[in-house]
Amino acid sequence: MKQKLFLSLFFSVLCFVLVGNLHAAEQDIGYAGIEVCKACHQNIYEQFVKSIHGRKEISGSPANKQGCEACHGPGAEHVRKGGGRGVAIVTFSIKDPAAKKSSQCLSCHQDTRSVAFWDMSRHRSLDVACYDCHSAHYGGDKYLKAAEPALCFNCHRDIRSQSNRQSHHPLKEGLIKCSDCHNPMGDFGKKQIKADSVNELCYTCHAEKRGPFLWEHPPVEEKCLNCHVPHGSNHSKLLEKKVPYLCQSCHDERGHPGSVYTKFETFRGLATSGKNRMFARSCLNCHSNIHGSNGPAARGSHWLR
Amino acid sequence: MRSIIIAAVLIFLPLHCSLAADETITADMEIKGLIANVGGSGAKFNEYRDIRDGLYGRFHLVYDSDYFVGLRASDIGYDTQSYGLEGGKWGSFKYQLFYYEIPHNFTFGAKSFYSGIGTNNLTYPVHPPGTDVSTWSDFDYSVERKSYGGGIKLDMIKPFYVDVSFSREDRDGTKATAAAGTSPGGIAIELPEPIDYKTDTLKFEAGYAKKPLFVSVSYLYSRFENENENLHFRNPATENTASATDVRTLAPDNNYYKFSLRGNVKLPMNSKFTLNIASSRTQSKTDLLDYYIADVPGGVVPITLSDNIFHGKIDTLNYGFVLTSTPLPFLDGRMFYRYYKKRNKSDEITTEDGEEILINEPFGCKKDDYGMEIGFRLPANLYLLTAYTHVNKERDREDVAENKDDIYSLDLKWNGLDFLTVKAGYEKMHRSADFRRPDVPPDDPEYIEIFVRRFDVAAAERDIYKASVDIYPTESLTIGIGYRNKDTDYDDVVLGLREAKSDEFTVDADYIIGKLMKLTAYYDYEEVKYFQFQRQLPFNATTGFDPSTLPTPQAFNWEAEQKDESYDYGCGADIYVIPKKLTLKLRHDYVRSNGNVDLTYLLGDNPLPSGRTQDNIDISEWDDYRLRSYAVKAVYTATKKLALSLGYVHEKFTYDDAQYKAYQYVPATSGTNGAFLTGANSNQSYRADMFFFSASYTF
Repeated sequence: MKQKLFLSLFFSVLCFVLVGNLHAAEQDIGYAGIEVCKACHQNIYEQFVKSIHGRKEISGSPANKQGCEACHGPGAEHVRKGGGRGVAIVTFSIKDPAAKKSSQCLSCHQDTRSVAFWDMSRHRSLDVACYDCHSAHYGGDKYLKAAEPALCFNCHRDIRSQSNRQSHHPLKEGLIKCSDCHNPMGDFGKKQIKADSVNELCYTCHAEKRGPFLWEHPPVEEKCLNCHVPHGSNHSKLLEKKVPYLCQSCHDERGHPGSVYTKFETFRGLATSGKNRMFARSCLNCHSNIHGSNGPAARGSHWLR
Repeated sequence: MRSIIIAAVLIFLPLHCSLAADETITADMEIKGLIANVGGSGAKFNEYRDIRDGLYGRFHLVYDSDYFVGLRASDIGYDTQSYGLEGGKWGSFKYQLFYYEIPHNFTFGAKSFYSGIGTNNLTYPVHPPGTDVSTWSDFDYSVERKSYGGGIKLDMIKPFYVDVSFSREDRDGTKATAAAGTSPGGIAIELPEPIDYKTDTLKFEAGYAKKPLFVSVSYLYSRFENENENLHFRNPATENTASATDVRTLAPDNNYYKFSLRGNVKLPMNSKFTLNIASSRTQSKTDLLDYYIADVPGGVVPITLSDNIFHGKIDTLNYGFVLTSTPLPFLDGRMFYRYYKKRNKSDEITTEDGEEILINEPFGCKKDDYGMEIGFRLPANLYLLTAYTHVNKERDREDVAENKDDIYSLDLKWNGLDFLTVKAGYEKMHRSADFRRPDVPPDDPEYIEIFVRRFDVAAAERDIYKASVDIYPTESLTIGIGYRNKDTDYDDVVLGLREAKSDEFTVDADYIIGKLMKLTAYYDYEEVKYFQFQRQLPFNATTGFDPSTLPTPQAFNWEAEQKDESYDYGCGADIYVIPKKLTLKLRHDYVRSNGNVDLTYLLGDNPLPSGRTQDNIDISEWDDYRLRSYAVKAVYTATKKLALSLGYVHEKFTYDDAQYKAYQYVPATSGTNGAFLTGANSNQSYRADMFFFSASYTF
């Protein structure tokens, strides 16, 4: 019985391999050659030969394989039928599944570390294809169809809006890029961040927040995003909510933490006390070491020093 | 750096005249003259920029053959200057050197009575300090990052590779910090903190990448050094002399090491198994202060520490496995497990301050999550992605030590027509919290903790709905519309944040009208609401912690609803006045935020404090701002290589906020209305007009 099973399995695999080889053999005879492509697609040809894909110095580049047909598949039938978009040739139509379009790219690029984690990318899960962001024929940095962040904003419109807010990272000024923090090709971190935790990512640029401190602030230590938003905020320091109410949503104790601060506690307000907990930088007028302190006694434990 | 660039240009230019057939040199260079007239806050205008009267230069030179070299520079001589040199041999190796600066300007023309601004010793000659602001010193709150480094990637040993890089960042400047004059119940003192940081980072990665296997090992070392361990300042709230100056501690030096191993292997049935293991350590060492300054004779209050040196040490360990598979053409699958542990091995230090004994509690946490995603490619170009994730979190915290999240999501994409893509999604999160009720009697101040649920760990129900439509009826027209609704309910919260809601709507369009013009436009709108319920109690309260207690004028509940309404829109047109010769570019952008806080005293039959009503306490200016910009630019393509531009930009930013309105540097010199402020973040409004001319040349 076991032997029959094994033989069945063996012949199945063998048939599969043979059919695959036959299919490959069929393909081998269908190539038209790059000069034939050039005859009709002169502009694209010129872009291609100047592109990284057209470089013969790079082993494994399409230029060292079948040129245009390395990605578009054998074109002899396409030529025989008189050409035309999608006629007996691989195109990257919007209606094609992303996986099908990307498979052409991945047949070479999955051997590179930059695409090593594409299979676990959220972009892949959501049916985004390489072609949606990259051009195979021409382009600037990484052959992107547009520069960051404009390219990313085509889909992530909410982030475009946030990055326009008065408090933001210098994204629209062009001093940082989306891909400084996120790996669009997939990574282990949530939101494809280039780190194993949010704090690890933030500490890349904000190393002074790493501590370790004697007096820690647990929400800070657990996740910067408990108080901050990464892409833009109406409130200074990229805070999600404005102080003092941000602090009070956790610190409701007798005395000033739980007190209500209103228009009366502002510079023009008529309050007779407690205004320095509200005006200007509010709680941070005193509790300035909010990310952690090595200060003495209660002055340290309350992040005052 | 400038001399390197000049030398490189001089080397490149002669080369251009003597190139072999397979060698090319391309260049793209631009020089721009700018006149800027800025009124108001120059710091906000130039928050991350350096726009002023002058000449700006940019170029990019590339030599290309078997070997390649690229040299680029921009904003030469300005605070945003950036330089890069990149070269190598195609398919063999690649190196790079870089230098760039990033400014962050907060406030120009801040004021302080202190001398020594920019150092870690702030003092003033005579106590108390003068309150006549016109006699104070002017200074700027501004920080500049200067980063430089280089790296090399070796691909010549394919399928193996090596990537090594080193970078250093110097950060200098001054930012605003503060201290309570006396604690509790004293004045606030805003202080200019000196920033003099240095961060060195070394990265090494080596790996193997050839089907069916990918493996990489990497090591990262980062060292942060702060030139100033403490900020010494004479405290105007105490009568201590300059010999007993107060101290605010600053960020300690630290070392960070990380080692990681990553890899994946292809499996049968179009599957892949991916692995990530990483371990890191962060260390710091600080000499602790054994005193603090208070308003007592001599000013110095000694404390007793179990150890005068604090050794900070945090280790993290994380690992994750992901199995992805596309066993059938219509089925995508992904299963994953991730584990993260932060182990805090820092010293526990006991502090004795008179009768008060304090012990720090090093914070550690653990998180593991697992889940799966299944994508179905359905008929009619429909793609359905379903996912489930379970997250367990454990932390060293007294109130909520454990959370469990169950997250379900569904995403749908339809692209059955050539001119339309429709996406819709829903995500549901249920978070349970293991709340630990403190075992204290009702007259203990800690009793209020029974009712407080902190939003970062509180039980919650979160729903997210999203939808988008992308329409491209012709090749020249694209329209995108999106909507997102997020609603988080913290149902168990008695005191704290109870609800957070947001609604977002976005739309954009691009339209090319033949050879006449290109039009672009966008509009984004968001409304966010936060609702919180709080309790006010006197400083020395021993009763009334329960929010269900009948209110008194001193002990009562209150509510706050913060609302932020934001929108931004923009439109632009590229008008091809003379096709391929003269283009007129027009652009208008507008950003607006309108925030307010609706406060309510829940006093029952008790009257509100004198002069207050439920309406006149509300805050209508809550980070309100408007940013308008108009730009017009004419681009004349004189030859294939030379283009000339002339333009004008107008920007106006108006900022209005209750916390900064009618700003006072010294609102009072004592009590909790008192403060010595420096003007940090005040008066942010500005208006700017910029004229520019540029010439760009490419070959």
